[in-house]
Amino acid sequence: MLEDEFDSDLQDNLGSRFQILVCIDGSDESYSGLRYAVRMGADNSADLTLLYVRPVDQGLRSGGLQMRVARENMLKWGVQLPGTKALTKGRDMLVEMGFMADDWKEQVVHTDVTGDPLGDNTTVYKNDEGACISLKLLVSPRVDRGILDECEVGNYDITIISMSETDEAKSHAGYISPATTFAVATQHRGTVLVARELEEDHGHFMCVDFTEKAIQSAVKDAQIASRCHCPVFLYSVAATEDELETAKSVVARAKAAIEAEGLSIAGQSTGVGDPVECIVGKGRNYSLIVLADSSVKGLRRFFTTSVAYEVLQKAANSVMIVR
Amino acid sequence: MQAGKATRPFFSLRSIGLFLHDRRWLIAAFVIGAVLYVVPPPDGLSREGQLVLIVSLVAVILFVTEPVPLPSVALMIIIAQITLLGLDSSKVARSLMSDSVLFIMGSLMLAVAIVKQKLDKRIAYLIVRATGTGIYPICVGISFVCGVLASIIGEHTVAAMMLPVAITLVTLTSDNPKEVKGLAAVLLFSISYGCAIGGIGTPSGGARNAIMISYWKDFFFDPTNPETRRFLVDYVTWIKFAYPVFLAQLPLVTLILFAVFKPERKTLRRAVAKLRKQIEVRGPMTGRDWAAVGIFLATLVGWVTMSESVGLGTIALIGAVLFLIVGLVPWNDMNTGVNWGVVWLYAATISLGVEMQESGAAEWVATSFLDLLGPMNMDQGMPLLAAYTGLTTLVTNTMSAGAAVAVLGPIALRTAEIAGEDPLYLGFITAISSSFAYFTAAAHPAFTIVYASGYLKAADFFKVGWRMAIMSAVVLLIAAKFYWPLLGLS
Repeated sequence: MLEDEFDSDLQDNLGSRFQILVCIDGSDESYSGLRYAVRMGADNSADLTLLYVRPVDQGLRSGGLQMRVARENMLKWGVQLPGTKALTKGRDMLVEMGFMADDWKEQVVHTDVTGDPLGDNTTVYKNDEGACISLKLLVSPRVDRGILDECEVGNYDITIISMSETDEAKSHAGYISPATTFAVATQHRGTVLVARELEEDHGHFMCVDFTEKAIQSAVKDAQIASRCHCPVFLYSVAATEDELETAKSVVARAKAAIEAEGLSIAGQSTGVGDPVECIVGKGRNYSLIVLADSSVKGLRRFFTTSVAYEVLQKAANSVMIVR
Repeated sequence: MQAGKATRPFFSLRSIGLFLHDRRWLIAAFVIGAVLYVVPPPDGLSREGQLVLIVSLVAVILFVTEPVPLPSVALMIIIAQITLLGLDSSKVARSLMSDSVLFIMGSLMLAVAIVKQKLDKRIAYLIVRATGTGIYPICVGISFVCGVLASIIGEHTVAAMMLPVAITLVTLTSDNPKEVKGLAAVLLFSISYGCAIGGIGTPSGGARNAIMISYWKDFFFDPTNPETRRFLVDYVTWIKFAYPVFLAQLPLVTLILFAVFKPERKTLRRAVAKLRKQIEVRGPMTGRDWAAVGIFLATLVGWVTMSESVGLGTIALIGAVLFLIVGLVPWNDMNTGVNWGVVWLYAATISLGVEMQESGAAEWVATSFLDLLGPMNMDQGMPLLAAYTGLTTLVTNTMSAGAAVAVLGPIALRTAEIAGEDPLYLGFITAISSSFAYFTAAAHPAFTIVYASGYLKAADFFKVGWRMAIMSAVVLLIAAKFYWPLLGLS
């Protein structure tokens, strides 16, 4: 197939198909995020992009000898660079899980990046039905900036990024630190799933409040959950017993909105107390805690926190922020 | 295809917030500088000296936190010397170029030229032939070869050459990195620490050595006074003082590495056999290979025999030019392989170091430091040397060794004068202990290159680094106490 034709097909797909971005750093947690993405895109109903961001090499730290000289020497010895191996492992997993086959068409796109022997590299795999899987090895001054740039360019419906502090995760060269994950989760304009001890089959714990945004987010989460046949449990917290009725009505509103879309929920409940503590405590038993985006915008995000971001910091399991 | 990077609107509230967040240390450094600027100078410090110290402090904060590209810090130092200190721009421009800066330029060009010659496979072959297949002797061999080479041509060159050798040995042993974590650690750290301890061996082993040699000459050599000729430290004299310190550390490196990491294999018989097969494909030495070795040896001979008369930098430049003339490396490779920002960085910090001496700032800091050490009886003799070893180790772990010597050198040499110690003593202590930057993956050029392979954790550097720092400091102080007096230092 001609390159232009290949590109034009891809552009068409971007507008119509569900797009999932999975940030890979080589850790087990990032691959559990990939497995979840495969569930969401079951039967190739979604396009997957696996992204590994490598910080641009600093020639100054290597004493003035550009790092590219060392990297080129490694390539001459046939040594794989960090990133290539992690993405290849992800691709092999997709083949093992039956999400892609060896006979998919492949196209490699390279973009030179000053000061780096590898530059940006993308390998795109595509089948005849239009399903698409991309492996992206990008370089960026900082990992979080690289991920955020890709998020903005790609218009992804959901971005999955791991948050892990285990020794296993830290031992990988491309380790995505909690600070990086937090930066992406707070600064990205789209939906972000922060994968942390991600266990499948326990359902989405969707937390709603009285705002219209929360109701819309609940509907969006129900749509995402339906892709992987995950049950949705609605939850709302009242600060005092007096507000309990309001919380119940919020849950009822969310349920009605979800059912109006032809979807259903598996359960609903309410609680009384501190919202963050209630959500973190009760949400522990589910695959994901799902929250609507914070209302905090712009510069205020640097100085204030919200329930969503506090939950993101304190939860022991995965959290999805819907935008 | 999705092409290009996303461009955020430059003036959105969000982009301004991110910009300020990224440059918070730049803002903090400038605020600290501005506050100190309006404060009157303390007793004993001239206004000019105070300004030099303010510029130095701001530069150090920027070196450590890196909110802006480091070469821009070098340019800021130059601008500050002209605008804040009121120095003539031509004088500042002249102070940027010295033999040590020529040496840094020449040695970086030599580094690129040597790495491009693909001699690494031949060196690897020599190592495995000499050491056999046991993991312990292989690590000793790698440390020794890396140390000896790094003492002559700079650690970054050696790390770039030897890294693929170690990784190839690891990957030929097992495809799964989790199964060979300990093995990868001992092999890669043998390169890192071999290079780190070797860099002190000769003046050409690192910019820090050349900088100290130029400080001795600039501050103490008087052509009219024959007694000051001892401050013209030549290549061989440096080797006499520093090489035994390197050699004494060599066997201890492997011992420490094996105490910290437990390699999963005792022998690498299969990996070495496969490596030998790969290497033998290269065939016998070609004319190009011999020419490269010849130029390298000629440069080494030039450093040993002519550095006192024409300078280390000139010899390095001659070596680089010979590689270009013979056609062993194209200019474009040299041009793109060297980060010229480093040259600016060293030039500016050396210039600032000279200004620190001339403005009296170095004397004020030295006196204050001695006043601090006095109550602890550490203001002379071995305790003073130990204090400077500790101070330099701390500073060099936060910035490059060359920058640490450029900033601390004038202070150390002035301290020696005030305390009645020999400036050669404290100069050697400062230059050598500036190589004890063992704590982080970014502390040594060789560490950064090896860490980029992806086989080591950042925390591993501290795990082994603090043990190495103690060992190196003890070896250095023992040499200063018992060996250097035999060479005429008192």
